[in-house]
This record gives sequence, C-alpha cells and structure tokens, in this order.
Amino acid sequence: MTALAKAIEPAAARPDNDQRSIVAFCCRECAYAAADTSANARTPLPSSVRLVLVPCSGRVSPLHMLSALAEGADGCMVAGCLEGQCHYREGNFNAIDRVRFVQRLLASVGVEPERVRMFTMSAGEPPRFVAAVREMDRVVRGLQPLRRS
Amino acid sequence: MPLTRRGKAMAEALPAATFKSSGSFGCEIVRHEELCVGCGRCATSCPSGASQRGESFDVKQLLSAPPDSRRGALAAALRRIARHEPEAPIDVPPRVTTYRTIAYEADRCLGCGTCARACPVDAIEARPPRAAP
Repeated sequence: MTALAKAIEPAAARPDNDQRSIVAFCCRECAYAAADTSANARTPLPSSVRLVLVPCSGRVSPLHMLSALAEGADGCMVAGCLEGQCHYREGNFNAIDRVRFVQRLLASVGVEPERVRMFTMSAGEPPRFVAAVREMDRVVRGLQPLRRS
Repeated sequence: MPLTRRGKAMAEALPAATFKSSGSFGCEIVRHEELCVGCGRCATSCPSGASQRGESFDVKQLLSAPPDSRRGALAAALRRIARHEPEAPIDVPPRVTTYRTIAYEADRCLGCGTCARACPVDAIEARPPRAAP
C-alpha cells in the first residue's frame, strides 16, 4: 500500500462536528500552495474538507477517488494547476480525464457524478481555492449522505 | 478464418487432405475478459488488427475482476457505493487508456496466438483448432 493510499482513509473519515466529509486531493505546486496561502491569511474553510497532498494532480488514479468515497467521504475533489501550466507538463490533463471517467463510472451505478469534481487554479490565487472548496461543499450538502454497503 | 484461394488449392493438393473438411486453420482464441488488466498488449501485437482498444468500457467486466488485482480493488470500492447494477458500457475519455474493453473481431483473427503469448496475465487462451465436424 502506498503512502497516498494510506492517507485516504483517515482523510475520508467524517469529522466530529460535521455531517459531510470531502476529500480534496491538492497538487503540491498550485492548489496546495494556494491552500497554504489562504490558511496563512486565516480564511475559514468548510469543516467538511480534508486536504490530501499529492505531487501532481496526475498522481490521483480512479482507485484513489473511489476508495475515498468508499471509505467514508461524501465528495471528492481534485485540485490541480491551470490547463497548460502543469509543472509536470500534462498531469492535470490526465487528471481531468480520469475525473471524467470516474464520473461516468459513478453515473452507471446510480451515484451522483457531481460527487467527484476537478478544479484548476494557480498558486497565486488563494481566493479561487477557497471558492472551489466552498462550491464543492455546497454541492455535497445539497446531496444525501452517501450510502455504503 | 476461411481459407484463401491459394490456401484451398494447397489443402486440396495434400494427399490426406485432412484440412479440407475443417474449413479453418489456426488456434481458437478464447478471451477471459474478467482477468484482463487493460494493458493493450494484445492490441499492439496483433498482426491483423482483430484485437483493438475499444472506445468504451464495460463496467460488468470490472465488477467480475479477481479481488486481489488492481481492477478488483477498484471494483470493491465501486461495489460499496453502488446503488444498482451497471447498465450500458461507458464511454472512456481519450487519456484514460487502461480502463477499456478490448474489441475483438473473430472474423479478422488469424488464430496465430500472438496475443495469448503477449498477454501478461494469461487472460487469453489459444486452444488448438477444433476438430472437423
């Protein structure tokens, strides 16, 4: 089991003070840097969100997204660099297609595809990161908690 | 695969002419889709283009994958949150290459067995040609 796979389960666990849980895979170069800056500015984030640091959004595989949902998360977001500005050239394009694949996979078994979403932002845009997280939180709160067997 | 004109002539020229009644040569290719990992080596090694990477992915194939494999882990996660059985096969975005169902056309297959040798997980079986009826 890789370090990333191990990090998913604790991140997906539902927080004590919240009804929903969202796992956010953030790329180190852009999204996590933006998250860092917004945290330094003490911008409050929704309590449902847990960040998982990945080197690049292209590291996130369909298995990571689905296991986050299966382990307890109600939503899962992948945040990467702007299109064409990936620090590893094309990682975010791979991530965009994988997210689209997982959305179709979820739709085919009757789960709302909005639970998985891709966002792009640059390192210098903390407000955009906060807006993305709040948007995801709003969408997930509009849905029922995810049922698991 | 049906014989070519030249092949037919050669088969008829054989003294015992055992091929004549069989109508086809080559191995019978049997694909075990549930074991497939989607690497696409059968498609790249196929000399006649009978096996090709498809544009869609059959979710039922994913759900029947062996549990200790990577696809099996994905299937286990999907099964936990699934509300109903998967319906039609899904279209796959271009950059997702491993989660694709291989499109196999038996009409174009030569029965050479190259795909069975290229397959890393023994999902393709090349059986000896069936006996003549």
